[in-house]
Amino acid sequence: MNGLVDLVQWVWGISAGAQAVLCWVLFLSGNFRRIPVFAAYALANLCQAILMLMIYKRIGFRAESAVMLAWSWQACIQILRAAATTEAIRLLLKPYQGIWGLGRRVLAGAFGIIFVVALGYSGRNIGWAILLVDRGFHLAFAIALVACLLLVHYYSVPIHAAYKALLGGFCFYSCTVVLANTLGGILFVGGNPNFQAIWNLLTMGAFVVVLFVWANALRKPLPEPMPNVGPPEAVNSYWEISPQINERLRQLNDELSRLWKSEVTHS
Amino acid sequence: MSLTLILLGMLVAVVLSLLAWAFRSTKEPVGSQSFARALQEDGRAHVEFLPQIRQALAREDEEFLSRAGGSRLRRRLKTERRRVALSYLNALRQDFEGFLRMAKIIAMLSPELGVGQELERARLTVSFLWKYRRVQLSLYVGHLPLPEMAALGTVISGFSVRLEAALKAMGERSALAAEMISPSDRGRIHFV
Repeated sequence: MNGLVDLVQWVWGISAGAQAVLCWVLFLSGNFRRIPVFAAYALANLCQAILMLMIYKRIGFRAESAVMLAWSWQACIQILRAAATTEAIRLLLKPYQGIWGLGRRVLAGAFGIIFVVALGYSGRNIGWAILLVDRGFHLAFAIALVACLLLVHYYSVPIHAAYKALLGGFCFYSCTVVLANTLGGILFVGGNPNFQAIWNLLTMGAFVVVLFVWANALRKPLPEPMPNVGPPEAVNSYWEISPQINERLRQLNDELSRLWKSEVTHS
Repeated sequence: MSLTLILLGMLVAVVLSLLAWAFRSTKEPVGSQSFARALQEDGRAHVEFLPQIRQALAREDEEFLSRAGGSRLRRRLKTERRRVALSYLNALRQDFEGFLRMAKIIAMLSPELGVGQELERARLTVSFLWKYRRVQLSLYVGHLPLPEMAALGTVISGFSVRLEAALKAMGERSALAAEMISPSDRGRIHFV
């Protein structure tokens, strides 16, 4: 038991150090200017680590006020995380205004739907509800992010390695939190005394990995965003051609259906 | 509760697999050549060979050769016609993919996209691929009446010319816009 707690403290220390390194890298490379929301997110994480250390030392680890403070701060971090992700995708799709408009809607729509469904499953007990809402948030976040990235892939938009690291890190961490919260809940219900330590190890361990990946990816300055690739008049061509292509595809589908029907009749 | 863990574990595995798939390098990144290549490919559509295919798959020819040539020739004819039909179906798919590629380029250049249009195209693409596989399988098994296949080509023919004109016009306007941007920025533009 003590060994596990010691390990958690070690991982916590490494995590705090990695957060400091990430902030330092962002400052040195000048990337905090290109991705200010992400820089704010990294700084907020570091502040959270310092604040939590002070609170736990002063009022204890299990005090209700400490738990409420930790989760309130966490809510701010979640908002910053969502904003930082949107910022990265916006920079990625800056030259493609139309795709960005579509991606924004996919991101908001997918997140909204899944999060509302997840909220419906959260219990009445406040402690339990926080865990389920947090899991719902991360699940909705990961699915919405992947949906948006699939859209980016569909339109063959190239993604710079640094943005892959940023977005991949967010998605990986959220997936780990989803599993850690579920496993933590199972252990808690089963009366396992180490449930908190295991939950902490899983989430912090994943976060440490992601922090190092981010720090490595952001060592060099991010590429300048490209200007818009299409002229404003291109929208007219889009509205002229796009329905025609769809009509042609519809006809082709109808022909294939007819072909299939005639095959069924012959046999 | 452990069932929840298994289900969520599977969901997470799917999400991470899709993430890895989305991060794969695209076959055709938006580069200087892709726009021009789309125009060139468009000029060489397989539907140009539609009359020949129609002739090769004509029912009258089959009936005549079956009557005149006997069972051996009939079998050989059937095999040859199936091979032609399969190649033609494959070529039609290439034309179809060419249209989709051009539709994507137009969408990328446009500062505004219609959600309905894009969703409809995605739905039609999935539907096309499903039906295409079904027809292909029927051809392999030897169930499909070949003459009806020729009708597929008419859907694609003629459309490529209009698309080419629209893309050329957009390309010219994009090039004009590039000229108006400062020389240092121009190096980072990826069209034409």
